Amino acid sequence: MINAPEANSQGQMGSLLVSFFFVIAGVVTLYDTTGYTDRDSQVFPQTVAIILIITASISLVTRFLKPSDEGGFGDGVWWRRCLLIAAMFLACFTMPYLGFLPAGAIAFAGGLIAAMHDRWSVGTVLLYWVSGAVTMVAFFSLFKFVLLVPLP
Amino acid sequence: MEFGHFLSALTPLNLGLALFGVIAGTVVGSIPGLTATMALAVLVPITFSMEPASALILLGAIYTGAIYGGAYSAILLNTPGTPSAIATTFDGYPMAKRGDGDLAVALACFASVFGGMVGAIALLFLAPPLSKVALAFGPVEYFWLSVFGLSLIASLSDGNLAKGLAGGAFGMILSTVGVAEISADIRLTFGSQVLIGGFGVVGALIGLYCIPVLIDLVAVPDRHLKVEDDVKSVRIGEAYRIAMKSKFNLVRSSVIGTVVGILPGAGGSVAGLVAYSEAKRTAKPGQKFGEGEPDGILATESANNATVGGGFIPTLVLGIPGTPPDAIVLGALLIQGVRTGPSMFSQSGSIVYTFIYGLIIATILMLPAGLLIGRYAYKSIVSIPKAVLVPAVGFMTIIGTFAIHNSVSDVFIMLSLGVFGWVVARFGFKASPIVLGLILGPIAEQGFVQGWTIGAATNNLLGMFFGRPISQGILAFTLITLFLPLFLERKHRKTARKTNQ
Repeated sequence: MINAPEANSQGQMGSLLVSFFFVIAGVVTLYDTTGYTDRDSQVFPQTVAIILIITASISLVTRFLKPSDEGGFGDGVWWRRCLLIAAMFLACFTMPYLGFLPAGAIAFAGGLIAAMHDRWSVGTVLLYWVSGAVTMVAFFSLFKFVLLVPLP
Repeated sequence: MEFGHFLSALTPLNLGLALFGVIAGTVVGSIPGLTATMALAVLVPITFSMEPASALILLGAIYTGAIYGGAYSAILLNTPGTPSAIATTFDGYPMAKRGDGDLAVALACFASVFGGMVGAIALLFLAPPLSKVALAFGPVEYFWLSVFGLSLIASLSDGNLAKGLAGGAFGMILSTVGVAEISADIRLTFGSQVLIGGFGVVGALIGLYCIPVLIDLVAVPDRHLKVEDDVKSVRIGEAYRIAMKSKFNLVRSSVIGTVVGILPGAGGSVAGLVAYSEAKRTAKPGQKFGEGEPDGILATESANNATVGGGFIPTLVLGIPGTPPDAIVLGALLIQGVRTGPSMFSQSGSIVYTFIYGLIIATILMLPAGLLIGRYAYKSIVSIPKAVLVPAVGFMTIIGTFAIHNSVSDVFIMLSLGVFGWVVARFGFKASPIVLGLILGPIAEQGFVQGWTIGAATNNLLGMFFGRPISQGILAFTLITLFLPLFLERKHRKTARKTNQ
């Protein structure tokens, strides 16, 4: 959990950092366009990158001059968020090696543990894991055998 | 156009195909990652052995059902099932969060049926004259249309226009990543093979809308949706009364959807966004778009379903498919040996009119089927424990994104965009402007570059961009959309100040 003053400074700093990131993204885009061979490929990204730099700079300067407590990551348990994201990325990276279903099971297990706020009991363990397995196998079968998606 | 064609559409086989198509399309459309295009592509082979009219009825029913089905996940999971339902998330998910998800689902069904009917009736009576609209739209008109769509950023910015515009511009830059369509330059990939294919719209939609919701859901122990103690059914009567009160919004949005549907390349997502923008521009005092306003759902859902009939107009009359699903239907027609073109309505009248009547019947069947499926979907989503719903939706996002191009890279991009979207949203950069830029960026770029090239070649750049009547009309609407709210607010403040004095 984050207390109020921390959240305020977090909102201010985070907003400045995100605006700065967008300015940098615009500059990088402008730099990248210098390597294109055709003028037709350059004109649109260049125009949009300039708009991005201007608008993100306005946002950055405005926030710098008028600090506010808006924004921030708010309440919530970080390890649950991180577990969910980590499990989904792990599933993505292991998919070519393990196959879709085992990799999907990693994502499902991570999501289930992350989202479970109640106390585990034998009943919920069985019910949730079995229903998860049924859901995964049903979707896997639908995509692989009905929609003919070549799942690994 | 004879009564016999109507009777041909009413045969038990055609009725059964229409019902099956609507149900199959609705189910497929409601799964994030499975689009109307994919539903049609998968099911088109089973039409090869059918009569042409029956085959078309099945494909039309799947198409219309899939466009409607996209609303379920948009409302209940904040994830547009199809790109057409992007704007449905703006008000649908807030409604679901406050306990009105059942009402939102019923509203989406009524609006989809109404919009679908308007599109199909336009196809029945006005196809040849309306097809000329498609030909009147040149690259510059497409450019201005996308700018009009982008003007919606102003109202999606939550009071911070600079952040909204920055998000929109960033989305447009993301849309340029990969191989340039016009000149084949490789842009912004930084040598990465993963980025050569660019950012797919569907994967980006899933990532930017769905992953942040999942991250928020796991962090706190609250329920995923607020529900009444006794969930009995979708609120049909209440939804009907709201829809009847917003007749003008329904008609206007359906006409917008039909006209945008006629324009090749625009499609349901642009139609939904333009209709939403118009509904918001003409909002009555007290209407809060973006916070669970029923008119937002009515506008989007009627417009995106109206594109189905509208899109068939250039497909059948000119042989120019308006959207990817239209292209699949066109391919199916060619396989059946039916030639499209201006003479199709006279030479193959029985096929065309039987199909149009079949499309109308399928749209009508969508009302009971949609409400029934909607009731089931709503009850399922609200009653599934969050601990099972979150990983199940997470699994669906992975499998749905993978299925788009059978690529693990797409899954990686989707997840990365999701985490990025969650982080920037915490600091006021909402996902919707980024998505808007991502969708409208390619249309804007193509129109802008082609218009620029033609204008430069004819030495008339200003005339090319500002001298054409349709361009001027769209530009005027864009300016009104951007500045009218500011003008009205200023006028309102002046009046309030005078009253206080």
